[in-house]
Amino acid sequence: MSYAYLFKYIIIGDTGVGKSCLLLQFTDKRFQPVHDLTIGVEFGARMITIDGKQIKLQIWDTAGQESFRSITRSYYRGAAGALLVYDITRRDTFNHLTTWLEDARQHSNSNMVIMLIGNKSDLEARREVKKEEGEAFAREHGLIFMETSAKTAANVEEAFINTAKEIYQKIQDGVFDINNEANGIKIGPQHSPASQSLNVGGSGGNQGGNCC
Amino acid sequence: MAFLQWRRFNFFDKEPVKDPTTDQIFDQLKDYNVSACTSGRGQLIIGDFEGNLYFINRQMELTAFRAYEIRVTHLLQLKQHNLLISIGEDEQGINPLIKVWNLEKMDRGNPACTRLTRAIPGNKPTPVSAFSVHENLNFMAVGFENGVVLLYKGDVTRERHSKSRNVFEGNKRVTGIAFKSQGKDVYLFVVTENATVSINITSKDQMKVLENAGASPGCIVMSDASQDHQLIIGRQDAVYFYQPDERGPCLAFEGTKLQLHWFRGYLIVVGKDSKGVARPPVLGPHGMEMNTVTVYDIQNKFIAYSAPYPEVIDVFCESGSIFIFTGDRKLYQLQEKDTQSKLEMLFKKNNYTLAISLAKSQQLDQDGLIDIFTQYGDHLYSKGDHDGAIDQYIKTIGKLEASYVIRKFLDAQRIHNLTKYLQALHTSQTATEEHTTLLLNCYTKLKDVSKLDEFIMTKNRAVDFDVETAINVCRQSGYCEHALALAEKHKKHEHYLKIQLEDIKDYQRALQYIGKLDFESAESNLKQYGKILMNQVPKPTTELLKRLCTDYRPTDKPLIDQNTLEGKTLIPHHAILISSGIPSRIQKANAEEFIHIFVNNSSKLTEFLEHMIEVQPNSSNLVYNTLLELYLHDMVHEKDITARVERERKTLDLLKNPDANYDIDQALILCQMNNFKAGILYLYEKAHLYQQILRYHMDHFEFVHVIDACKKFGQQDPQLWVQALSYFASREDSCKSQLMETLSNIDKKNLLPPLMVIQILAHNSTATLSVVKDYIVRRLQMENDQITEDERLIKQYREDTDKKRTKIEDLKTSAKVFQASKCNICNLPLEVPSVHFLCEPHSYHQHCFESYSENDMECPVCAPENSKIMDIIRAQEQSRDIHEFFHNQLERAPDGFSVVADYFGRGVFNKVTLITDQHNKSGSASSR
Repeated sequence: MSYAYLFKYIIIGDTGVGKSCLLLQFTDKRFQPVHDLTIGVEFGARMITIDGKQIKLQIWDTAGQESFRSITRSYYRGAAGALLVYDITRRDTFNHLTTWLEDARQHSNSNMVIMLIGNKSDLEARREVKKEEGEAFAREHGLIFMETSAKTAANVEEAFINTAKEIYQKIQDGVFDINNEANGIKIGPQHSPASQSLNVGGSGGNQGGNCC
Repeated sequence: MAFLQWRRFNFFDKEPVKDPTTDQIFDQLKDYNVSACTSGRGQLIIGDFEGNLYFINRQMELTAFRAYEIRVTHLLQLKQHNLLISIGEDEQGINPLIKVWNLEKMDRGNPACTRLTRAIPGNKPTPVSAFSVHENLNFMAVGFENGVVLLYKGDVTRERHSKSRNVFEGNKRVTGIAFKSQGKDVYLFVVTENATVSINITSKDQMKVLENAGASPGCIVMSDASQDHQLIIGRQDAVYFYQPDERGPCLAFEGTKLQLHWFRGYLIVVGKDSKGVARPPVLGPHGMEMNTVTVYDIQNKFIAYSAPYPEVIDVFCESGSIFIFTGDRKLYQLQEKDTQSKLEMLFKKNNYTLAISLAKSQQLDQDGLIDIFTQYGDHLYSKGDHDGAIDQYIKTIGKLEASYVIRKFLDAQRIHNLTKYLQALHTSQTATEEHTTLLLNCYTKLKDVSKLDEFIMTKNRAVDFDVETAINVCRQSGYCEHALALAEKHKKHEHYLKIQLEDIKDYQRALQYIGKLDFESAESNLKQYGKILMNQVPKPTTELLKRLCTDYRPTDKPLIDQNTLEGKTLIPHHAILISSGIPSRIQKANAEEFIHIFVNNSSKLTEFLEHMIEVQPNSSNLVYNTLLELYLHDMVHEKDITARVERERKTLDLLKNPDANYDIDQALILCQMNNFKAGILYLYEKAHLYQQILRYHMDHFEFVHVIDACKKFGQQDPQLWVQALSYFASREDSCKSQLMETLSNIDKKNLLPPLMVIQILAHNSTATLSVVKDYIVRRLQMENDQITEDERLIKQYREDTDKKRTKIEDLKTSAKVFQASKCNICNLPLEVPSVHFLCEPHSYHQHCFESYSENDMECPVCAPENSKIMDIIRAQEQSRDIHEFFHNQLERAPDGFSVVADYFGRGVFNKVTLITDQHNKSGSASSR
């Protein structure tokens, strides 16, 4: 389980939009039609490869219920990416996006990559939110947009991997400070023995005193 | 809206603990003022404010001893060692004492105390608020009211070698301490009232603040391996999980938590009923506040048990069940229901998904799981969710009878479900032929060609179905291409060709396919399908046959095997020929076995056979016969003269070919049937049937040829002339010259007695005397000469005989005067003693005679002559017994009579015994 980087994601959005199903589809490649309400915050992990590098995605799946908002909010911090999910068959979930986005921007670091996901694209007949609307919202707020289906697995891989690519690009561009874990990015333990020993020394220095 | 809580079940049976001896409710603890509890290794341990320790074993027997003078405050029973560690006070003031008890070693009736250590951080005594011991017995951590955590390193059971150090200093009471081993590192979780930190005590006490929030005492527990040994902390809003490096997930169970416990994957939360905000606090029977004990299944996400208990003091997880120690000093045992009854409860609620995950987490055996899948499938089916049902049924493959499922879905509308099931059956390698048939039928009924393609055509896929069945089904339903691909892939040549020829009618490809097969298959298939192929694509078929019968090699193989090439470089050439393993031998089929294929196509057959003969001159006679027949047939049906001549020439060439191994008799019949003169004659000649040649010419009135034939073959069979003679004699028309010639030949060779000649000629009404005059005259003259010669001989023999007779008479009657003066051997004057013989007469010196003669009775000079005669006689005697030889001679001799006469002379007709006697006598007489 050695990896070059670990990216921390969160999945947010109204209750019942399919956040847990997206995660289950991505990590286990299966779909559960009857899914219990998420109580609290759960997490899943999966390895992916970008640019020949092993990257571990640690994904935090949050409860969408309003009453859990205070708990889930505390998980926003330290996430490198967020999947903001709405249900294309329920317009209200789309309408709440602004609130979610504000919440996310407020409680996370500013560099967080946010992907807007219109889920349940398999239920075309019951669609209430047009794809164009989603695209427009994403453009307006500087998000990446994609419609997915956790049931048919359409675009699910892409949603997670594209987000990871975006983060990876930001690392390459030097936007993220990878040594600050609050950014939701960790360097793998095996990545470079030199850097690890340096890390130990560095953290020792940290502990010894913020005096210097 | 939805309940913000997990599903609730009742998977535990509550039962008050009874005293087995009295069968009354166990109440022996009712008078004690309990201060601390622990459990482990089958017993519950309780400490009180008087300093006593109480042990309750499985039989509910209570034992006690006094451990501290004043009170017991903390207890910990290790799980892997029978050690009890206690903290209490022996003296007034703040003097916490750590005692380690070895429960296996007794010292004056009480457990032996192996260690006694004062627990004081620095120089300010403060009460202990939490402590923990690592199971490896190397670390012990004690937390104090003032927020300090002291770590004792070294053997926990002994005072010596144990060093303590201050690893944490907070500003609030330490409420919980826990160890966690991760790889080589050992972490210490420290929870205070306002912080949660992890300290890596094996790596410079590196500390990490996990959260700036702590927990109240009791609300801290370590999970087991099923949850990765995480630290669990219960707070008002939720239960949080922690790893040494960061916070993990959380479960939003609301409410004030009093205690957290862990029991085999279950999280037990003792809490105040938060929902009772509207009501006043619920009070128990003795005015005690009621607490709620809730058991959560963390993995499967449901509440396994929840019930109110009066003022829970502690919860023990021991001996496979949960003991709840309540404020009324009673013990309640929560016994987990067995998996089967849990599942049944879930089934009743149709909660199959949960049942499945539960069964999996409880390590239920495969049969049990499949039973669940079946029930789930049945349930979904009855609800009309066929898609979902089939998914469940697929999971039962291998155990559940497939026909059970198939029968349910054998309906046109559910055929795609059935298809899915059957596909799964195939991938799991459990499909039978019937299943394959059914699946393919489904595909064809659904007209799902792409699926069919996928099922059949996918390369490099393990074959999970019966190929023959698949081929047959595909054929029947008209998917010939698929059947074909299958057959080709699995080398079912029979099927491939059948399909190619009977369904698709692509003869060219069928033929190419055969050409690619190995020798045996190619041969047998060509035999079977050759006729059809020949009718449809004669030319390539013929080519293939030629190849097959000469030097066959599958078309897709290189001309020279790699094997052979390598072999050649390694071993000398002759070795290759000897070693049978190397496929350098040429395989060829028997051409005659394929002749029948060419019915109705004689030109191709001709071509084929010509090729065969050319390549293989030693072909069987059937080949030659057939070819001959074809030639003759062609020849007869050829109208054009020049072509016909050409054909005749070709036929004759074949006949004359020394290698041609045809059957002469049959060839003859063929030639006669087709009236092929040259052939007939050639064959007669070849078979030495000269008479037939003659007869043939005679029948065709070809006198010249008759004579020619006679001339040609007269040497071998002189009787030809005689026949010719009688033929010509019987001819009425003039053929005088021929007659003359025949006659002269007969005469020359002396084939017939003149009388016979005359007799034959007498038949001819046209033959005149002039024709035979010369002949007769000459014959008569010759006979006259013969007669005179014979008479002369007779006379001479008679005279000889007379002479001999007189000589014998002389010898018998008159004396013989020996006048010889010289010895016939040494030519010296004769002297006595001498030996005289009557024969010449001859005389010898005795010594000469003795040294030369072979026996006393014979004259040495005459002996060779005599013995020669004797040999002749003896030879005659011998040969006269060989009757066969006699008969042979008799038959061959031109004049039989002379042979008989000769044998008569040898005494053939005498009586055997008599002759020998007489002969001996006469012999001895003559020698004297």
